[in-house]
Amino acid sequence: MTGRTGLNKKIKITPVDYVIIPLIIAGILYTVYRVKTGMHYNWDWSAIPQYLFRYDSETEKWLPNLLMEGLFNTIRLSIWGILFATALGFIMGLFRVSKSLFKRLISGTYVELLRNTPPLVVIFIFYFFFSSQLIPVLSIEDYISSAGESTRHILAFMFGKPSMIPAFISAVITLAIFEGAYITEIVRSGIESIEKGQWEAGQSLGLGRFQQLRYIILPQATGRIIPPLAGQFISTIKDSAIVSVISIQELTFQGRELMSSTYLTYEIWITVALMYLILSASLSFLTGRLDNYMRKNSG
Amino acid sequence: MKNSLLIIILLAAVLFSSSQASGKDLQQQLTDESMIEKAIRRGRLKIGMSTFVPWAMKDKNGKLTGFEIDVAKRLAADIGVKAEFVPTQWSGIIPALITGKFDIIIGGMGITPKRNLKVNFTNPYDYTGMSLVASKKLAEGFDSLDDFNKPDIIIAVRMGATSAAAVKKYMPKAKLRQFDDESQAVQELLNGRAHAMVSSAPLPAFQALKYPDRLFLPLKENFTKEPIAFAIRKGDFDSCNFLNNWISVATSEGWIQERKHYWFETDDWQNRIK
Repeated sequence: MTGRTGLNKKIKITPVDYVIIPLIIAGILYTVYRVKTGMHYNWDWSAIPQYLFRYDSETEKWLPNLLMEGLFNTIRLSIWGILFATALGFIMGLFRVSKSLFKRLISGTYVELLRNTPPLVVIFIFYFFFSSQLIPVLSIEDYISSAGESTRHILAFMFGKPSMIPAFISAVITLAIFEGAYITEIVRSGIESIEKGQWEAGQSLGLGRFQQLRYIILPQATGRIIPPLAGQFISTIKDSAIVSVISIQELTFQGRELMSSTYLTYEIWITVALMYLILSASLSFLTGRLDNYMRKNSG
Repeated sequence: MKNSLLIIILLAAVLFSSSQASGKDLQQQLTDESMIEKAIRRGRLKIGMSTFVPWAMKDKNGKLTGFEIDVAKRLAADIGVKAEFVPTQWSGIIPALITGKFDIIIGGMGITPKRNLKVNFTNPYDYTGMSLVASKKLAEGFDSLDDFNKPDIIIAVRMGATSAAAVKKYMPKAKLRQFDDESQAVQELLNGRAHAMVSSAPLPAFQALKYPDRLFLPLKENFTKEPIAFAIRKGDFDSCNFLNNWISVATSEGWIQERKHYWFETDDWQNRIK
């Protein structure tokens, strides 16, 4: 983004570059060579495409297979995770800058607890202890199995395979709680970055605290919150791989399942990595555009 | 003060009345609460399993297939419900059963006293054993467990499986390296970072056949024998009774042996996987 102004300048190659560039190329070539000769592995890329899409002879249609289904689940998981994390992050972020000690304590504890524990541990605790108590209470399963055909289709589109929905919900909640802690801090720093004078100006106009926040502080803070928030969204996609440990059928889990069946370890890992890269990079590109757009419009 | 006294009296009354449930009610309640009854009411039997060739694996169309999948599908059909598979990581499969993520583990689980303290096992319907495949380069000339029982020997296994316990028992001096699934353990062996890999038969033999120039089978036979059974939550004797009798019916028919022959002694299914 910062390179935009230097785009028209001629790229200069310094003597240091003459040393570094061949070194990098030599490093890559050496690695490829080692992989080809040193590693005892029978490469078989021809098997991979059928795990992305398969031809169903019964319905005579091309259908997404394991890896694409995994990607769709990763997307579902990320979208829901981002939505809930943002909601939670905004509420907790406002609590962080609240005047009430109680609210500050709640949000402070939340942020410190979540930021200082590994996500893997949080996921295990939540999945095995909380969700096994929580999900039966909500009796989601009964609702799903009693739902009509069209409802089930909608549910499948939004949450994945109906039988996996309870597990999916615990995964979304865990992801949202976890990412929410970081979004809380983004929101807090956004609000706190607005000069104190702005609050005072609001006060002098006779606005209450909520009105100051609503009409003066938040409109200015939003511009500062969005870039780091977009970065957090990309993190959420990548972090969603962690929930594979609780057997959510997202991309990483499907990749691992396939590896245990086929032993095509490297081909599958590389394919999975590329799929994540495409997903994250396209979001990254979009947020870059958004960033530019906002910068232009804010003058 | 008055209020708290009232609450205590109420609580005591509730506790007393609930402990008054008659023997007959209790029996009815236990029957209703049994896993099989619940599965029938739900119309689905939720089966916890983990991918492990040739017990359970995904075929080209993304569908589950394998020995345990056949067993589970027939069991569900005999109960009159649909089989619903819940693929789960092997290392967390027992906690997942206990916390009710599924009804039963049908995944080639070997009975061990330690596992049995946490879950109930049915009678065994199959026996398996640990087998060892070794690297030709690193373990040349090795032909007994003693050859591998040395401090500088590295053995790769799958985490949470009984293979780790078998290695600790039979080759206590060797170094153990644990992986999340077999494919990673095999890869470690192929890369020459481990001397041998231990796993339930017939996987080691399959790997030796697949990489004849790099791997070999140093031992003629399996070095352990393990009973394989279904695992269910503790306290559910009705379901245990049903499953035990289902196993004796399926075994008497010769159905289990026939399926086992298909998956373990032939490779007709290989082209369905890749």
